Amino acid sequence: MLRIPCPHCGARDEAEFSYRGDATVTRPGADGDIAAFHDYLYTRTNPRGWQVEWWQHAAGCRAFLKVLRHTVTHEIRAVVTATGTLEVPPA
Amino acid sequence: MSAPEPTHPLAACATPGRHGAPGDAPLRVTLPRRDMVQVMARRGREDALAEAARAAFGLALPPAGQAAAAPDATAVWIQPGHWLFAAPRGMEGALAARAAAAFAGLAAVADQSHGRTTIAVSGPAARRVLARGCRLDLHPRAFGPGRAAATQIAHVGCLIHQTDEAPVFELTVFATLAEPFFHWLMEAGAQDGVLIE
Amino acid sequence: MSQPHRLPTGGHIDRATRLAFTFDGRRYEGHPGDTLASALLANGVRLVGRSFKYHRPRGIFSAGVEEPNALVELREGARREPNTRATVIELFDGLVAQSQNRRGSLAFDWMAAAGLLAPWLGAGFYYKTFMWPAAWWERVYEPMIRRAAGLGRASGLPDPDRYEAAHAHCDVLVVGAGAAGLAAARAAGAAGARVILAEQDALPGGDLLNEPALEGWRRAALAALDAMPEVTVMPRTTVFGFYDHGVLGAVERVSDHLPEPPPHLPRQRAWTIRAREVVLATGAHERLIAFPGNDRPGVMLAGAARGYARRHGVRAGEAAVLFATHDGAYEAAHAMAEAGARIVAIVDPRQDSAAMQRAREAGFDVRAGSEVCGTVGHAALRGVSVRRVGAAGRGDAFAADLLMVSGGWNPAVHLASMSGAPLVWDEALLAFIPGAPVQRERSAGACRGVHGIAAAAADGAAAGRAAAEAAGFAASPSFALPEAPAADCRPFALWEVKGRGKAFVDLQDDVTAADMRLAHREGFSHIEHAKRYTTHAMGTDQGKSGGIVGAAVLAEARGEPVARVGLPRFRPYTAPIAWGAMAGEGVGRHFQPTRRTALHAVHDALGAVWLDAGIWKRPAYYPRKEDADAWASVLREARAVRERVGICDVSTLGKILVEGPDAATFLDRIYANTFSTLPVGRARYGLMLREDGIVFDDGTTSRIGPESWFVTTTTAQAGPVMQHLEFHLASAWPELDVSLASVTDQWAAIAIAGPRAREVVAGFVQGIDLSNEAFPFMAVADCTAAGVPARLFRISFSGELAYEIAMPAGYATHVWQAAMAAGAAHGIEPYGMEALGLLRIEKGHVAGPELNGQTTAQDLGLGRMLKKKGDFIGRVLAQRPGLTDPSRPRLVGLRSVDPSRQIRAGSHLLLPDGKGRSEGWITSATRSVVEPGWIGLGLLREGEARMGSEVIAANPLMGEEVRMRVVSPHMHDPENIRVRA
Repeated sequence: MLRIPCPHCGARDEAEFSYRGDATVTRPGADGDIAAFHDYLYTRTNPRGWQVEWWQHAAGCRAFLKVLRHTVTHEIRAVVTATGTLEVPPA
Repeated sequence: MSAPEPTHPLAACATPGRHGAPGDAPLRVTLPRRDMVQVMARRGREDALAEAARAAFGLALPPAGQAAAAPDATAVWIQPGHWLFAAPRGMEGALAARAAAAFAGLAAVADQSHGRTTIAVSGPAARRVLARGCRLDLHPRAFGPGRAAATQIAHVGCLIHQTDEAPVFELTVFATLAEPFFHWLMEAGAQDGVLIE
Repeated sequence: MSQPHRLPTGGHIDRATRLAFTFDGRRYEGHPGDTLASALLANGVRLVGRSFKYHRPRGIFSAGVEEPNALVELREGARREPNTRATVIELFDGLVAQSQNRRGSLAFDWMAAAGLLAPWLGAGFYYKTFMWPAAWWERVYEPMIRRAAGLGRASGLPDPDRYEAAHAHCDVLVVGAGAAGLAAARAAGAAGARVILAEQDALPGGDLLNEPALEGWRRAALAALDAMPEVTVMPRTTVFGFYDHGVLGAVERVSDHLPEPPPHLPRQRAWTIRAREVVLATGAHERLIAFPGNDRPGVMLAGAARGYARRHGVRAGEAAVLFATHDGAYEAAHAMAEAGARIVAIVDPRQDSAAMQRAREAGFDVRAGSEVCGTVGHAALRGVSVRRVGAAGRGDAFAADLLMVSGGWNPAVHLASMSGAPLVWDEALLAFIPGAPVQRERSAGACRGVHGIAAAAADGAAAGRAAAEAAGFAASPSFALPEAPAADCRPFALWEVKGRGKAFVDLQDDVTAADMRLAHREGFSHIEHAKRYTTHAMGTDQGKSGGIVGAAVLAEARGEPVARVGLPRFRPYTAPIAWGAMAGEGVGRHFQPTRRTALHAVHDALGAVWLDAGIWKRPAYYPRKEDADAWASVLREARAVRERVGICDVSTLGKILVEGPDAATFLDRIYANTFSTLPVGRARYGLMLREDGIVFDDGTTSRIGPESWFVTTTTAQAGPVMQHLEFHLASAWPELDVSLASVTDQWAAIAIAGPRAREVVAGFVQGIDLSNEAFPFMAVADCTAAGVPARLFRISFSGELAYEIAMPAGYATHVWQAAMAAGAAHGIEPYGMEALGLLRIEKGHVAGPELNGQTTAQDLGLGRMLKKKGDFIGRVLAQRPGLTDPSRPRLVGLRSVDPSRQIRAGSHLLLPDGKGRSEGWITSATRSVVEPGWIGLGLLREGEARMGSEVIAANPLMGEEVRMRVVSPHMHDPENIRVRA
């Protein structure tokens, strides 16, 4: 079980969160075409290493958070709120 | 036809008296009647909202993880830009109307007086009993009077607000899930004994 | 009733109290402080079980969790628990245990004939043997194997006890309360840290319990811990797993040492412990040696024999041989001699050592450079064969009833390994020890190869101090550590003694050294493959004693060092754990919460039959005495709505307050249709798509103020819709100023539907002109209902003139009763989910069965709702060719040609000449009250073109084929005259 440091609530159990996948994709605007939306919805890099991903603190403060997590070690290095940005270190 | 007293969500299951194991230090349970409103700040108006809260309710809007109390109201931070204001039960809709008037243009106000209900637990057994379902660290070094946290206990969303050192924990849950939550509390507390007042 | 092997004094045994117990129906006595194993040994019971595959007689092999042999069925009736290790069962008065895995008596097991078939029962035998004829597998082979194999029997009855979960947090978790763990906890506690010390044994102390001279230090340590308010000592608590981020799992056996749990107490408690720092002081498990006949009852780990003598005051044998490869094991010989046993010989492959010299000084017959090459006896050991290391032949015979074995120690690295730490090979100890930590943990004492009580305690104190410092606490004052002779546990590398007969590397799974070589020969050379091929280390002991021995045999076969072969990956659980503890209190009504509307008691009083809708309880229908069956009730309720008026609890719909200056913009992007044009005081049916273009949810949303909206969702999707809104506000459009509040629980809601709904509503609602002109279809307004503030919606799901009235939930009963009173004169009837479903199918409204995560708006005949201008979720991907393909199944109505023929949802739709190819399926089915007969909604390819034609509804499961006519889904009032009346 992960312990995710919520910027609002402190470290909380993974069980309080729901996962929402890759947080590096941006929803295309009104002029986006099928290819752009396809990439937004389906195309994933699936890295072995650091990944920025969405976690909602669903059972806590309801905030959508960006979490920098290592997909092999599960280490969580940084968590920011939805409008924040995270530098992805090399794997 | 005049408005009756609303039915309490736990009216069918919270029977006053001793439950579970005998003993001289049971978990004490009370069901304070509260009005509650969810106050949601407009973008960029948090400072003005804080000022209005001070003026209208005499309290400082608390930051994340905390609660603030005034003589006739409390405010608990529940999520970014959202606070739950509570006051003793009064006229139907009065707290919501008071908040809406005070925070006009600064916040949206949703009456939750019927949507949430509060169960107060206290006594030396309180932390031990809560630890049977609560994932949070309620030890005095980690939590304390004036602290508040939203979490999930027994699959039910629960806002925990510690109001004093005794300790007293006020547990605010969704009204339609109050019964199963209460059943969990009774079972978790049975080995220490429960006194419903 | 006497205990012939009980020592008169010594150990942690309360001889003044007698505890009666039975094993295989015979009565015995023991004392508090005994385990079932020590009590059996005290009574001279040597044979305690039969082995898994060969049904060989087996005795008590160890004194702890690593026990492979002495598995018993504990207790009787519903509490009977199979495969319980006698070595960890605390004796209680009235304990009942039975041996297992035998046919007939334990002494004469018919299945022991399996031993005669041994040449054909090697590793993987069932893969090779039971291949043909294939048809025999289910009827012959599997039942036969199931009878022959397996261990104890489960009770087959519901568990009468309760279990619970519990959560803990600490600065320092110390696992294991031996010398190292006690010192670590004391050091960390003295620094001021919040400490949990978990010990699987009932008595903290570990090996200290075998050292009477150090009892004072043990007690002083416990007293010191007891005096620290922030230190919690948890005996009978097994830490079974080390997970990510400092989270560990443990099971506390609260009542297992009692005949049954006291009132209100659980049997076991499953702890989730979140620790900032962890000190692992889990000790080590003694290593067996693979030699022929090493499973004979009377062969025992040396440390176990020492422990039975010193801790339990039990002499495990009268004439003992010690077979050891290191000095650390010699203490067992001294302990047995003190206990009054005769030390027949000490067999050691080494030439000389300090311990060998001391043993000679003590008068023992030390056979240097020797090995045990066989055992004599059947159900009990009678003798031991000893030869020079590597010599051929049977060797010299020694009469003995106890053979104490030690091939070294296996550090208990399980938790360290689970935490992510690599295991590194220690060439001196011939063992894997934890490498550099990955998480915030450190090992201390024997679990990292530091043997001897004094050294382990010092190591533990240092680890405890370091852990507290790492958790932010200042250095703690030092305290006295125990003084004890050093223990040299560096073994001679003797893993296996080759010779005639079975040499087991895994006693519980009956895996021999030869099986490991066979696995290698057949290509299963990787340790993970060999494990699965042979079942090596897959028993309840998980190879704690012999796992590394099997790996060493495999290493030799591969011609590689043991370090290269390694051990199979350690995973939770470190020791067997009851599933009941994992379920905790989450059984029965605590399995998941039951959600009830504010009107639950009202429905109960009306005799509602309940329906589970997710976690909600909703009334399915309200049976009456005169109703012949459930359909009679449902049709009666639906007919009331069509002909007069009905009342229904619709509180479970999700309700979300959406408010803010950008709320209209937001809803335009969330819904596929436009909301910003909706005036205040009006509602609109809205359709949400997922981003992939599939329909997500629908509902009626009202504008209750210029910037304030009341969104409703389906019952099932209330949570997902809220998350969907929150996600897009956070990720896609953070610039929008919109607030969201779930008000599902705040508002109860009642639908009043039917031609007389207006009169009924007028009877208890004030403050609204209900005329069709003033309050038309889709109007919304605040009002007073029976004296309480409420909100009235003129919306309809039934196809009739209808209103929904929402009121603060605490008044729901009051308002319901007022509505019933106002409706009495109009023949109002409550209707449940079944009638609601009937009515909406007749009307052609889609619901969950149609919004199934596969359908588009076009599929459902709602394609024209999609706005042409502006962005909204799902707009672009809904245009993909696969989703706009005109041949996709479309929503149709279906009516059975013969009104008496029942149809069922899920039936496939075939063309009369279609050669059985499915053209679609029935999504919803019911009986009609408008035109008697069975009707349904379905998804049918080319549905519009087939309007009016016939299809076959085929349900092969029920053997049914029903002729259906394809009709418009709007089977009732397609012009909407009634809802607008």
